[in-house]
Amino acid sequence: MENLDFHCQLILEEYRESLPALKRMKEVVTRALHEALERNGLIVTAVEARVKTEESLAGKLALKGAKYATLSDITDILGARIITFYTDDVDRIAAMAEQLFDIDWDNSVDKRRLHQLDSFGYNSLHYICRLPKTLCSDPQFPQLNDIRFELQLRTTLQHAWAAINHDTGYKSGVEIPREYMRRMNRLAGMLEMADDEFSRIRTEITDYRRRVQQLVQNGKLDDVLLDGDTFRSYMMAKPLDRLNKRIAAINQAEIQEAPFIRYLRVLLALDCKTLGDVQRLFRKYEDDAYLLARHQLGNTDLDIVSSAIGLQNICIVCILSNGGGKIGLVRLFDALNGHNPQNEALAELTFEQASNLPFMKISLAENNRAPERG
Amino acid sequence: MTTTIQENGNQLIALFAGRLDTAAAIPTMEAVKPLLEAANREIILDCTQLEYISSSGLRIFLSIRKDAAAHGSKVIVRNISADIRQVFMMTGFISLFEIQ
Repeated sequence: MENLDFHCQLILEEYRESLPALKRMKEVVTRALHEALERNGLIVTAVEARVKTEESLAGKLALKGAKYATLSDITDILGARIITFYTDDVDRIAAMAEQLFDIDWDNSVDKRRLHQLDSFGYNSLHYICRLPKTLCSDPQFPQLNDIRFELQLRTTLQHAWAAINHDTGYKSGVEIPREYMRRMNRLAGMLEMADDEFSRIRTEITDYRRRVQQLVQNGKLDDVLLDGDTFRSYMMAKPLDRLNKRIAAINQAEIQEAPFIRYLRVLLALDCKTLGDVQRLFRKYEDDAYLLARHQLGNTDLDIVSSAIGLQNICIVCILSNGGGKIGLVRLFDALNGHNPQNEALAELTFEQASNLPFMKISLAENNRAPERG
Repeated sequence: MTTTIQENGNQLIALFAGRLDTAAAIPTMEAVKPLLEAANREIILDCTQLEYISSSGLRIFLSIRKDAAAHGSKVIVRNISADIRQVFMMTGFISLFEIQ
């Protein structure tokens, strides 16, 4: 720092005096960004902000100090960065930032539009901003509305590229062999394609979910294949609400929400291929599922049940009605909660409890008649 | 009914012994308070010596699960007896907890 000329020393002095205001500004900018992202429902990888260190500023001044008349000419003393998952989000967050801050358009650069051949990682959007008085008016630091800061928006892959590229010294001005440059540029192209593909996949998944919701709303359940997404959509409509309430009423129990996703594997194993199959299975076995719950809970004082109880009992009844027996129940309990030797005893007990219920008697009678028909 | 909390690395282990019925619920809830504030931990509810669990006991397990989820912790129920496993099954709690 001692090597800096008088002009640069003055800028450094100005920096030291501005440090409290810059630190305050960093807090305001970070909070404003977090709040705006939350308001807009935008999920990002990271929000970062830093005030340039004196050492870093001195380095910059040593290289090109003559370019700056005062500290205010250096626009990245305070730098903020938002790292997004998707390229589409960069534009959405840019629009958000335009509403949040006053943008210095003359000095802002959308490097994505420069289409440089070798600059994937630096293809981020750089806005030079000021804090408007509507966002921050601090009598202790009136300069907060005048100091400019830089906001960078980039994707996670662009960020990774920039970080690794920086580590290789590629941007340091030291020439690296052309072969390595070529390989880095190949990677750059691949990452840009990956970024675009991630965005496309997200868009297509969103479209798929909308189409599925439409089909579910229109009752066209046979057209919807059963998978994690469609099952979740279907269960959000609470198709077993009535059954759960009937079961809860046995002991005036409260119902605790529980996840259903573990049952997806069970339903697929029970040969449900579409949501239509799931709906028919529910309708077919819900009365017997209620009778099973009444038989089990009726003699207890358990007054709390999970919202998965109806679905669990439907699966039990379906397995037993179709001759799955104790082995089928063991498989069910294994699927719901992992393999455990105690699941055999549980299956045995459940089988015994169910054996007095009408659906089991019908099932057993049908099984006994089967050889005669053969 | 006794509840003992032990620490083992990143794990917080609650050892339950006796009958977790309505009468035991209030002192047990008090005893498990350290679990409710634990962040990013693995919480083990060791039921090796738990003889009985009532609805009040299930509610305590549920509170631990809810607070754990809010604090980024994970809850595992360990070594439940056949009777208690049956209670978990009859109430549909079997798919609510990871049971080992």
